[in-house]
Amino acid sequence: MQDIVVIGGGPAGLSLLAALKSSPKTRHLSCTLIEGSSLQSVRDFLVEPPEEYTNRVVSLTPKSVEFMQQKVGNWDFIKQDRVRFYDNIVAYDSQDNDARIEFDATQIGAGVLAVMCENINIQSSLIGRLNELGMDDSTTILDNTKVIDITSPIHHDLDQHDLNEIDVNSGKSDLDWPIVKLSTGESIQARLLVGCDGYNSPVRKFAGIESRGWQYNTFGVVATIKMQYEDHRSIGWQRFLSTGPLAILPLSEDNATIVWSSTPWLSELLLKVNPDIFPHLINAGMTLEEVDLKYIYSMLDKDPNDFKVLDEIQWRLSKIDIKSLEENYPLPVVELIQNSRARFPLKLSHADTYVAPRVALVGDAAHTIHPLAGQGLNMGQSDVGFLVDALEKGIERGLDIGSTMVLDSYVANAWPGNHMMLGVCDKLHKVFTTDFGPVVLLRGLGIKSLNMAESVKDLMIKAISGR
Amino acid sequence: MFARSALGRSDQLVTALNSQKRQFVLTAATTALGSLLFSEDNRLASQMEKGLLHNKNAENSASIPNTANKFFSRPEAEYPGHVPLYTFEKMLMFLGSSVGAYTHPERNEFIVALGESTAITPVLRRLQHQMLSDPVGRQILRERPRMTSTSLDLEHLRELPDNTIGKTYVKWLDKEGVSPDTRVEVKYIDNEELAYIYQRYRECHDFYHAITGLPIIIEGEISVKVFEYMNIGIPMSGLGALFAPLRLKKSQKERLYNIYYPWAFKSGLNSKPLINVYWENILEEDIDEFRKTMGIEQPPDLRNLRKEYFKKLKEAKKIV
Ligand SMILES: Cc1cc2nc3c(=O)[nH]c(=O)nc-3n(C[C@H](O)[C@H](O)[C@H](O)COP(=O)(O)OP(=O)(O)OC[C@H]3O[C@@H](n4cnc5c(N)ncnc54)[C@H](O)[C@@H]3O)c2cc1C
Repeated sequence: MQDIVVIGGGPAGLSLLAALKSSPKTRHLSCTLIEGSSLQSVRDFLVEPPEEYTNRVVSLTPKSVEFMQQKVGNWDFIKQDRVRFYDNIVAYDSQDNDARIEFDATQIGAGVLAVMCENINIQSSLIGRLNELGMDDSTTILDNTKVIDITSPIHHDLDQHDLNEIDVNSGKSDLDWPIVKLSTGESIQARLLVGCDGYNSPVRKFAGIESRGWQYNTFGVVATIKMQYEDHRSIGWQRFLSTGPLAILPLSEDNATIVWSSTPWLSELLLKVNPDIFPHLINAGMTLEEVDLKYIYSMLDKDPNDFKVLDEIQWRLSKIDIKSLEENYPLPVVELIQNSRARFPLKLSHADTYVAPRVALVGDAAHTIHPLAGQGLNMGQSDVGFLVDALEKGIERGLDIGSTMVLDSYVANAWPGNHMMLGVCDKLHKVFTTDFGPVVLLRGLGIKSLNMAESVKDLMIKAISGR
Repeated sequence: MFARSALGRSDQLVTALNSQKRQFVLTAATTALGSLLFSEDNRLASQMEKGLLHNKNAENSASIPNTANKFFSRPEAEYPGHVPLYTFEKMLMFLGSSVGAYTHPERNEFIVALGESTAITPVLRRLQHQMLSDPVGRQILRERPRMTSTSLDLEHLRELPDNTIGKTYVKWLDKEGVSPDTRVEVKYIDNEELAYIYQRYRECHDFYHAITGLPIIIEGEISVKVFEYMNIGIPMSGLGALFAPLRLKKSQKERLYNIYYPWAFKSGLNSKPLINVYWENILEEDIDEFRKTMGIEQPPDLRNLRKEYFKKLKEAKKIV
C-alpha cells in the first residue's frame, strides 16, 4: 500500500517524485515509482556522462528552469557544461528566404530565450536530487519493472468498464484504491495512481479517459551533429520546408542537435543516407530551394551513397550571396555523430481530462504536441507544478489526496493552458507545411508583419520562454 | 496602387487606337499583372515589403526623407550587359513594346522588348523550376552552353546524314535564310540565372521551328509560338497567339484554327519540356526517334498547304 504510485520514469515521472519529496507538505507521503526500462544509464550519467551528446535533447523554457531551481531542486545536479542557453530564434520560410522572423530575447531584456538540455541530463539530475533528499522507505524507485495490469476493486461490472487488456477479476479489496500488478509478480495498491507513462499511457486506458487527436503522418528525425566551429551567436534556427520544419539548435561548443520533421518517405531516406552525406543534406535543407531539395532527395532515393549530390549542393549554394549566407543562415554542419539518428512519429493528442477518482495523468500521458515550438516536456513540468500545488492544498485541508475534490483543481489550472499551446502549434504546423499558393502568400506577409510588429513579437517571446 | 495607374496610363496610350487594339492591350496588361500577382505569391510579398512593387514616386519618398536617395539610385548590374529596371519601368516597356509590336510587327526591337518585359520573374522562375527538376536541365544551367554559328559548327552539321537533328536544323536555317547569330542579347532581366534561361530559350527557338518544320512566315511563327506556350509557358508566345491572328487573311486564319492550333495545343501539352533539351549534344541523333521520345507529332507542311491552296485558287479562276 502506497500513498502515491507513479508509473513512468521519464522526465515527468521523476520530476513529480522529486517535487513531492522536496515539498515540506507532501514529503511524508509514501511514494513508489515504476519504470519499465532500466535507469542504469541515467544513474551512470550522473557519475560519468558519455563524451558525445545523446540524441534526445529538448529545449527548456526559463520557466521550467526556474521550476527546477526553486521547486524541485534538481537544477544543481544538471551537468552545466552540457547545456546551452540561447537568446535568439530565427525562423524562415523555404519558399521565400526573405520571409523570416527573429525572436531576440535580449531585446525585451529577458536575456535567455531557452536552454538546450539532454533528456538524460534532466533525468539524471532528478536522480541526483532524490539521492540528496535520501532514499528511505517512503521513496522507492523500481526500474526494470513493467506494469502489466491495473485493476480496480470496485469495477466488477464488465459492461461499465473500459477493459483495455485489464483483468478486472484479479483484485479483491475493500478499498477502492487501484491495484497495480508488476512484472515482478508483486502488486501495489495506491491511494493515488499517477500516470507519467507516456503517449500510450496504460493508466489513462485504465481510467477510461478519452484522448483526442491525430497522427500527423510525420516523423521527427533527430540527430546530433557538429558545426564547422562554435557559433557565438546562440541562435536556434528553424526553416519551414514544405515537408515540415527543420531546426538546428545549439549545444555547447561546436555541437548542435537537429529535429527534422518530415514525411514518412523522407524520414526513412534521412535515416539511410550515408553518414558523410548527411551533414551536407542538412546544409541543403537549411538553404536551398525546394526544387533543388526534391532533386537531391530523388538522387539519394536511388542511391543513399551517391556522393554526386555534394556537387549539386555546392553548385546551388554558390548561387547564394556569400555575405547573406554568413549572416542569415546557420554555420555549415560538418559531421554527424555516429548512430545518433532516430525518428519519432509526431502526433497531437489531448486527454479530455487529466483526472478520475484516484487517478491523475501528467506529461505525455495527458498530451502530445508537435515539437516545432519545443514545448512537450515543458508542459509536463508545468503539470507537475500544478499537481503538487493541488496535493499540497488537499493535505492542508485534510482531504483524501485521491479524491476528485483535490484533483479537480489540477485539471482546472493545467488543462486550458496546455490546450491553447496544442492548438497554436497545430495551426503553425498546418500553416507551414503547405505549398498552396494563397496560404504561402499570407504566411509570407504574416511572418513579415509579425517580424515588424514588435509588440506582438515581445508577447510571443514571453510566451515561448514561458514568462 | 500601381496596377491602377498602369491601366490608367494604358488607357491613355490606346485612345488613338481602335477598340480591338485597346482590347488587346488591356487583356495583355491584365494577363501580365495577373501572372505577376498570383503566380509566385510569396516572392511577391518580399518585393512588396522591400517596396519593389510600389510606384516609387516623389510622394512616397517624401514621406521617408532620409532614404529618398536610396530609392532613386539604380541597383547594380547582376551580369555583364544587364540594365536593371524598376518594376514600373518594366511595365511601361511592356505597354510601349506591345503597342509597338502590334503596329510595327516588322520591327524586331519591339518584339524583343515585348518578350523580355513579359518574361517577368514568375514565368522565368517556372522555367527555372522545370530545368532544376531535370538532370539535363540542371546540366544546361551548370554548363551554360551558348548557341552561335561558331559554337554549332554549321559546316559539320551540313555533312551529317539527312535524318539527324543537326542536318534538319541546318537545312531549316538555310531554307529560311537565318543564322544562330541573329538572336539578341538579354539585358533587362534581373537575376543572372534567369537571364541565362531566357537567353537559352531565345537561342533554342530556331530548333523548335526545325523539329516541327514550321517556316518563319507569320502563320508558322504563330503556330510555333502556341506550341511553345503550351510546352514552356512563356507569355510572349501566348500573347502572340492571342493577337497576331487578328491581322491575318481569312484563308490563313482558317488554316491556323483548323490545323495548326489543334496540333500546337496537343503537341505542346503532351511533349516533354523542350527547355530541357541539350540540343548541342544530340545533333547527331535521329530526328524521328527524338520526336517519338519527346512526344511531338509533326504538323502538315505549311508551305505545301499554302501551295495547294494557291493552286486551287488559280484553277478556280481559270475555270471561270
Ligand atoms: C523529436 C522530438 C523533439 C522534442 N523536442 C522537445 C523540446 O525541444 N522541448 C520539449 O519541451 N519537449 C520536446 N519533445 C517532447 C518531450 O520529449 C516529451 O514531451 C517528454 O519526453 C515526455 O516526457 P514524459 O515523462 O511525459 O513521457 P516519456 O518520456 O514518454 O516517459 C514515459 C515513461 O513511462 C514508461 N512506461 C510506459 N508504460 C509503462 C509500463 N506499462 N510500465 C512501466 N513503465 C512504463 C516508459 O518506459 C517511459 O520511460 C520532443 C519530442 C520529440 C519526439
